[in-house]
Amino acid sequence: MADVALPLHPAKRTLVRRSPFMRKAFPYLLLGPAVVYLLGITLYPGIYAVYRSLMTGKFKLEYAGLQNYRELLVDNAFWTSLSNTLILGVITLALEFVIALSLAALVYRDRWVKAWRILFLLPMLFMPSAVSFLWKLLFNDGRVISDLLTRVGFGAGNIDFMGSTALARLVLVVTDVWQWTPFLFIIFVAALQGMDKEVEEAARLDGASWRKIFFNISLPMMRPVIAIALVLRGIDILTMFASVHIITQGTPGGNTETLSYFIYRTAFKSFEQGYASAASVLLLIATIILAQTLVRRFFKSGVE
Amino acid sequence: MAAKPEKGIWLRKLVLAIWGILCFLPILFFATIALRPRNEIIAPQPIYFPTLTIETWAKILEEWPLLTYFKNSVMAIGGSVFICLLLGIPAAYALARYKFRGREDIGFYILSTKMMAPAAVAIPIFVLFGQFRILDTVWALMLVYAAMNLSIVVWIIRSYMLDIPPEIEDAARTDGASDLRILWSIIIPMCLPGIVTAAVIAAIFAMNEYLFTLIIASRNAYPLSVALANFSGGSDGIIYNAIALVSFMAFFPILLLVILIQNHLSRGLTMGAVKG
Repeated sequence: MADVALPLHPAKRTLVRRSPFMRKAFPYLLLGPAVVYLLGITLYPGIYAVYRSLMTGKFKLEYAGLQNYRELLVDNAFWTSLSNTLILGVITLALEFVIALSLAALVYRDRWVKAWRILFLLPMLFMPSAVSFLWKLLFNDGRVISDLLTRVGFGAGNIDFMGSTALARLVLVVTDVWQWTPFLFIIFVAALQGMDKEVEEAARLDGASWRKIFFNISLPMMRPVIAIALVLRGIDILTMFASVHIITQGTPGGNTETLSYFIYRTAFKSFEQGYASAASVLLLIATIILAQTLVRRFFKSGVE
Repeated sequence: MAAKPEKGIWLRKLVLAIWGILCFLPILFFATIALRPRNEIIAPQPIYFPTLTIETWAKILEEWPLLTYFKNSVMAIGGSVFICLLLGIPAAYALARYKFRGREDIGFYILSTKMMAPAAVAIPIFVLFGQFRILDTVWALMLVYAAMNLSIVVWIIRSYMLDIPPEIEDAARTDGASDLRILWSIIIPMCLPGIVTAAVIAAIFAMNEYLFTLIIASRNAYPLSVALANFSGGSDGIIYNAIALVSFMAFFPILLLVILIQNHLSRGLTMGAVKG
């Protein structure tokens, strides 16, 4: 019976062979291990963080209700770290976006595009901790940047880059931009190269300049790609940690702390895990909201 | 395209060259750091043309077990990639090929774990691993890296599986092949580029991981990313030549892997959303 229907509904045949239970269960069985594993590192920690945030004490835990949250919401260090995360994030992401898009626009029609791509990619292939030390050395310990500035005539002697909030932030921004602009660049170049060449050619024959083609044709077509790339990069930037831990450690005066660093410092340096858990829970809620709104909007799921 | 000489081509090349130099010079400088004697790294004036020597390496290797760090990295990363593929390939197959209730939600749930901030779960993970007594082991790093990268691996591989025409499987089905058999002998070989891409991207992110590694590893399990944060020798301050050396130990393997998948890189980095 099934054999007759075979050419028309080939997929149904195997399903018929199976018990109805197996037919329904099979995809869940395939997904099960992965989902259970992921629940283990999201759901369990989430619940534990909520539980821990309601407790005080370093070794002997005591129920404290919402006390941690009340303290957190009037803690200047927490708000500084939050606003700093956003300030650093917006500046860094904007810079990386503009530089990457400009470079991609300049490079994608180039004959040597492959060579440029490898060259521009190199900073991304170092570990963030390595890159952090590199820029710590260039800016601070080795005084290379100060020296170079002096040599080209902008010198103000040895600049103490950790001395002012603005300069310390600048160091963090430069470190991230140098390392991660390639991430966006690679994606944008691929998007530009993958675009329909005929549309461009037609516009070109009509006498449109490359600049016009880029802004009026290519850029609008790239919108979904840009959105995805910025979401992915933005999430990484908002959880910026290695460079803060290695380069500034929050100096001066906690003004370069990010939220991730605030949680780390509170939990693993001051050992106030309950307090840090309260901040974790707030961060968790923020990421869940972000993930739910952004991810569903920009990624397609299922069979296209 | 080459009919008319492009206007401003030299300006364009100049801008690209400047960015290229900005990318490359710091790396070159870093490479010389690995090759300098200690007293030429932090001097009153920066030294741009130092004496290059590998003699310092002997001392570095004597002070720190760099090869152990490297081995820890390889084991933790390799193991995590293996876990990711083991759990991720079947999951990707289910998402790519079956229709079932909740598919969208499960797919997005998996993807959304990528958005999880490490700091948000660092404390519970630390406590959990403490209870299992696996803190400061390579196994703990492996588990965390795998968890961190599973979403990426699933979504990348899913995207490549969607490219395989279903007719091929249908043909195998008519020959009586079971679904698992089809996955193993048709789907996996056909989306091998996707699997390799996913593995490489997962390896890079695992190599880069810092926060979890910092709280989990404390001496025995140091992989490269965190080992270098501990190179300071009392009065010597931070030992930058050891740091640079370790940085390049991590850099070259990653460079080779990336060259291997360079045409799939953008697709991998966007979890399959951008092809090419």
